[in-house]
Amino acid sequence: MVMKLKPATLAMILAGGRVDELNVLTYYRPKSAVPFGGFSRIIDFPLSNLMHSGLDQVAILSQYRSFSLINHIGMGAAWDMIGRYRGVSILPPFKGSGSSNWYLGSADAVYQNLDFLQYHNPQEVLILSGDHVYKMDYREVIEYHRQKDADLTIAFLKVPREEAHRFGMAELDDEDGDVGGRVIHYEEKPTYPQSDWASVTVYCFRPETLYKVLEANAREGDSHEFGRDIIPRLLNEGKRVYGFKFDGYWGYTRTIEEYWQTSMDLLGPNPPIQLDDWGIRTNLDHRNINDCQPMKVGSEATIQDSLIYNGCVVEGEVHRSILFPGCHVRKGAVVEDSVLFFNNVVGPRSHLSKVISDVNTVFGGQVEIGGKAPCAEKKATVVGWNNHVPDSTVIGSGCTLYPTLPLEQWRPYIADGEVVR
Amino acid sequence: MIDRDRTLVLLLAGGVGSRLNILVKTRAKPAVPFAGIYRIIDFSLSNVMNSGLVQVGVLTQYKPLSLMRHIGGGEAWDFTGRTRGVKILPPRTGAKDSDWYKGTADAVRQNIDFIKANPSREVVLLSGDHIYQMDFDDMISHHRQKEADITIGMMVVPKEQIHQFGAGIANEEGRIIEWEEKPPEPKTDLASMGIYIFNTDYLLRILEENREETDFGMHIIPRAIEQDRVYAYPFRGYWRDVGTIQAYWEANMDILKGDSPISPEAWHIRPNPEPGANMADRPPARFAAGCKVAGSLISAGCHIEGEVVNSVLSPGVRVEAGAVVKDSILFPDCVIKKDAVVDYAILDKRVQVGEGSHIGKGDKAAIENKQYPKHLFTGISLLGKEAEVPDSVSVGRNCIVSPYTKAADFQSGNVESGETVGSE
Repeated sequence: MVMKLKPATLAMILAGGRVDELNVLTYYRPKSAVPFGGFSRIIDFPLSNLMHSGLDQVAILSQYRSFSLINHIGMGAAWDMIGRYRGVSILPPFKGSGSSNWYLGSADAVYQNLDFLQYHNPQEVLILSGDHVYKMDYREVIEYHRQKDADLTIAFLKVPREEAHRFGMAELDDEDGDVGGRVIHYEEKPTYPQSDWASVTVYCFRPETLYKVLEANAREGDSHEFGRDIIPRLLNEGKRVYGFKFDGYWGYTRTIEEYWQTSMDLLGPNPPIQLDDWGIRTNLDHRNINDCQPMKVGSEATIQDSLIYNGCVVEGEVHRSILFPGCHVRKGAVVEDSVLFFNNVVGPRSHLSKVISDVNTVFGGQVEIGGKAPCAEKKATVVGWNNHVPDSTVIGSGCTLYPTLPLEQWRPYIADGEVVR
Repeated sequence: MIDRDRTLVLLLAGGVGSRLNILVKTRAKPAVPFAGIYRIIDFSLSNVMNSGLVQVGVLTQYKPLSLMRHIGGGEAWDFTGRTRGVKILPPRTGAKDSDWYKGTADAVRQNIDFIKANPSREVVLLSGDHIYQMDFDDMISHHRQKEADITIGMMVVPKEQIHQFGAGIANEEGRIIEWEEKPPEPKTDLASMGIYIFNTDYLLRILEENREETDFGMHIIPRAIEQDRVYAYPFRGYWRDVGTIQAYWEANMDILKGDSPISPEAWHIRPNPEPGANMADRPPARFAAGCKVAGSLISAGCHIEGEVVNSVLSPGVRVEAGAVVKDSILFPDCVIKKDAVVDYAILDKRVQVGEGSHIGKGDKAAIENKQYPKHLFTGISLLGKEAEVPDSVSVGRNCIVSPYTKAADFQSGNVESGETVGSE
């Protein structure tokens, strides 16, 4: 492919959603800005994929609590997206003289920014979701899209039939074998799934088709989602909708259990998520990661099967866990099967088992979380940000602790599954 | 409150630092990596930034490429903006003052145009090769309060070390009355840190008047002490000249101590994450099941399956299963293959140690390096940039494996203590 100065494809990332299942982790930030992988945010995966695919003109559609996201993206320098024809634009909802308003759905978010699209006048519009963990060379999708002269090309992943009801499922003819085929039928979250191909929310559109279908949807539709409304509408109109078959790793982070499992896919001898090979970059200026020194391992520390970033100090034990910058595990403390976001402190002789803890939480001394049950038999306990867990507190598994709990909310014993607000 | 716009910083980064041996083979001393993710010059540059000084000239001469790439536009230290800037000042030919820098004073003299182009009340003159934290703002206040022509940052060092430094004897009010440059017999324990503040007008005048004088420590300072107001600024804190292999190793090891006297993070030292170690491309350090790590500094991007004790690992170092790294400093992207041992050694970038090989074998009090007995005599072995040590060989103490040495260069297999492998 000849790379010209002006990029032919404009990418848009849908990063607005909150998704209630992620609970306290998305209390103050959109899902795409949730920390993942010991140093990065979920949106760094599509952004890094875009960078490696040579797609440097990017718009991010953001609505819910976008401050953390805006901070994170900065000028886009971390992904080399500063230049004459390279850039990241954040497109929040805005008020206009006419129809503008809060985004009513993914399709409406793009519709409200049609002027932005038309100004850039790209050859294709690539629309991605900002909350999946994967590596993809989007150029392969675009290539296939061009080859088929398609109106829309969607990337699909094979999923087990019993999980299919959670996804947008398509039936494909096998026009191009393992590469892809024409979409014959598509249904969002089908009750009785008829196929194995789940949409991974990677859409490559012919711009004129996209403009027309969004305008029609805005006029006539009462719902404004790509999966539920736009794809079926295009199929009804007989447009050329193609499926590109993707066979790599796909990590979901929509629920706490999914988030935990996808995080654990970073560990083990041959992790399915290969951060080094994937070339994931993040913005090191966000939360001043740049100011961290290399991590310090104490003389009596034990660290097994874990990922730990600069700025951490480990004096105790860490097993099968992921520690973001600035975490401190003090002497005698044990952290296992856990994910600790930035700047957590685990006090002496505390024991954390299957915990996901948001930023700036301090666990006092001899705190016990998660109990003794084997990891597979219990749910993760989630701790919201800026908490101070008092010394000797005992907390069960599957608990939810809201962010910034006042001291008087803390009880010495919090049973399995309890929610503390 | 000091009017900060009126202090100009000149950072002397031109020295060869030859005692660092092969670590300065391809780079200037200030560009030598330190503490995993930093380079030595980051300490001076960050101190300048944290003191609120914003106009900096870096005088380079010796192998400046790595240094220039590291400093870049100065964004890492917030030196970009309307009144901010960091400029590299290499030697150049001119109508009169042409030629290479002949000494510290000559280097500054050749950049009088830069000093005049950035009007200032004082010039802070620093060297780029020390590990320390210091508030120059406070030193400038001290300088103004004493109405000094020159103020010299000085610290107390053990008398047996004074021969490496410029030594000053101060009277009760802190005025320096006597000066000796690298005295064999010490009369004082006040050592110059190589940090000077000059009144700008005064500096310009003495550089014009005494054109034959090329060095601050040897010529300008001793005469100024006789004729003008030269004061000592006492410094109490951690400061190391890491100009020898042993001092460099010890300063790195100081960070590992439980009650470490040196903490780049607490000192707000900033690296430049983009060039060199490419921090921005590094995922978190990966600790495999079965690894053993204790008392060490581990940078992002490392992958540890074996054992690491009392060592500093730069980004991207890989220690394979069964391998042991002990009392050592490893620069970015070194690979220690299965069952290899690295003991008491400094490995430059991308060194590969083959399976089952042993670096640092034998008694530490072994014979000094035959070629450079004054550089390597404490037992530390040096492996140069991109050197490849083949499988199953041993390398003794005080050895040098030259940069870019290939496995084929190890013809005789084992390398005895004090030997050097590969061509210079």
